[in-house]
Amino acid sequence: MKAIHNLISKVKPNFEEGGKLSRFWVVFDSLETFAFTPGHTTSKGAHIRDSIDMKRTMMMVILAMVPALLFGTWNAGHQYYLSIGEITTLDGLGTMFWEKIGIGAQKVLPIVAVSYGVGLGIEFIFAGIRKHSINEGFLVSGMLIPLIMPVDVPLWMLAVAVAFAVIIGKEVFGGTGMNIINVALTARAFMFFAYPKQMSGEIWIHQGETAAIDGYSGATALGELANTVGKAAGSTEVTGIMSNFSLDGVYSMSNAFFGLIPGSIGETSALAILLGGAILLFTGIGSWRIMLSFLIGGLAMGAIFNLAGANAFMEVNPVHQIIIGGFMFGMVFMATDPVTAAQTNTGKLIYGFFGGFFSIMIRVFNPAYPEGVMMAILFMNVMAPMIDHYVIASNIKRREKRMKLQTA
Amino acid sequence: MEYFSIFVKGIFVENMIFAYFLGMCSYLAVSKTVKTAVGLGFAVIFVLGITVPINYLLEEFVLKEGALTWIDPSYSTIDLSFLSFIMFIAVIASIVQLVEMIVEKFAPALYGALGIFLPLIAVNCSILGGALFMQERQYPTIGEATVFGLGSGVGWWLAIVAIAAIREKIRYSHVPAPLKGLGITFIITGLMGMAFMSFMGIEI
Repeated sequence: MKAIHNLISKVKPNFEEGGKLSRFWVVFDSLETFAFTPGHTTSKGAHIRDSIDMKRTMMMVILAMVPALLFGTWNAGHQYYLSIGEITTLDGLGTMFWEKIGIGAQKVLPIVAVSYGVGLGIEFIFAGIRKHSINEGFLVSGMLIPLIMPVDVPLWMLAVAVAFAVIIGKEVFGGTGMNIINVALTARAFMFFAYPKQMSGEIWIHQGETAAIDGYSGATALGELANTVGKAAGSTEVTGIMSNFSLDGVYSMSNAFFGLIPGSIGETSALAILLGGAILLFTGIGSWRIMLSFLIGGLAMGAIFNLAGANAFMEVNPVHQIIIGGFMFGMVFMATDPVTAAQTNTGKLIYGFFGGFFSIMIRVFNPAYPEGVMMAILFMNVMAPMIDHYVIASNIKRREKRMKLQTA
Repeated sequence: MEYFSIFVKGIFVENMIFAYFLGMCSYLAVSKTVKTAVGLGFAVIFVLGITVPINYLLEEFVLKEGALTWIDPSYSTIDLSFLSFIMFIAVIASIVQLVEMIVEKFAPALYGALGIFLPLIAVNCSILGGALFMQERQYPTIGEATVFGLGSGVGWWLAIVAIAAIREKIRYSHVPAPLKGLGITFIITGLMGMAFMSFMGIEI
């Protein structure tokens, strides 16, 4: 620690105003504050003394994402070996543990590196030109983006999506804390709409050179379910697909809960995500209001569909419905984004409820988008300021009424 | 059920702003504050809710080929649909005059805030668009046409109020100088359009 501190103090004058490297001040500043508590204080406005600052908040969120990331890495390898037939579902999960991690890391690490590299690079350039300090916001977005990507995503495509999300989604609004829609979801949605062909089909697992064995399907649970729409209930095709969702099928409830299914890197395991969610709730960083109402909204819509029961997709058990796909991930990490969510407490409840509600609705109603969570959260991000506005307006009205009652 | 599906479609799936980008001029200009946006939004709902059924009657009993048979059976070959644009616009313009007078009388503050954009509803593309979509989609009854008009109006209202709330929220954001004002509003509209794409292709 001492050595780092000495080094920083030694090179610091070079970066300060008038120093020969002063144009790289933002880079230096961010690295310095990363290592040590900054010595400067707020120069104007209100002061709050608190041990938690933005950097620490962001670090907690990243910590919360680690279980999902580690599991996703393992699962990438697991699915790979399943697909080439090296192992079967009957083998213990510990079989070839390190080989799976190795394969997974080979695929996941480059994605993380590209996401951080491109995003932080753009952030540094903007900070340099616009003369503001580098914020830590992207540390979280840069980690969220890999978790919602398919394992086999081409890296250049990822780079384009990240660049779009950071520039159009965030920097044009003034950087961290100013964006109106979630940066990570912007990247995902951009990719989805700009490269629809590459973002559908057999990309959810790392295939490698070897062809997949017969009987292994790399499709996500939701992709399979979307295939049932428009086909007669009870036909052999539909029952074939639905048998995968029964107790001993590939997408059974326990498999989906532990995450042994194909899907985006971080979304498959509800268990790992809930672990992260527990960290967020315990530290008070994630809003319990949003998570709870999101969950209730999803379950409610699932139950309504159960009652309607028009096709096989609708008849999926609500609990099963919310542990497949990205619902859990969206609920814990995306919807709770403090910048883009509703800011008022009542607003958070409304925001979360409709987020969950629309997630399941879009998923079932819109066969073009088997994954409704991304779109639902984007939609609610757009609507959040309006919800807040009306919540505040109704608060004002209520208080006015109360005041009138008192004076009267 | 049919009415409900047309109504919901008009709000989300076939949203005037985000699906067809109609009525952008007043949408961009009057969305600085939520209050005026709500006022203009209601004016658009009102105008669409009235002009679409009136234009429907016009289409059904005057303009369509064979529509004039109720006067005399020998008129069954007359097709006046080449007049539809001018007739629709005339109806819309007169209704807008009416709205303007009502707003001026009962909500002078709103009248002042809306300024030139209230008379401009007459040439708001979403209003004429509503009439023309009604003609194109050939709704079987006047009830469905009315519901379609109201649904499109509510969709437009939702769009303008949502963007007005966002613009109020980002008022103190550190937006780059060249993008301040309209520039950032266009970008927001694009991003909102992306969010609304979640409803594209839904069949209700």
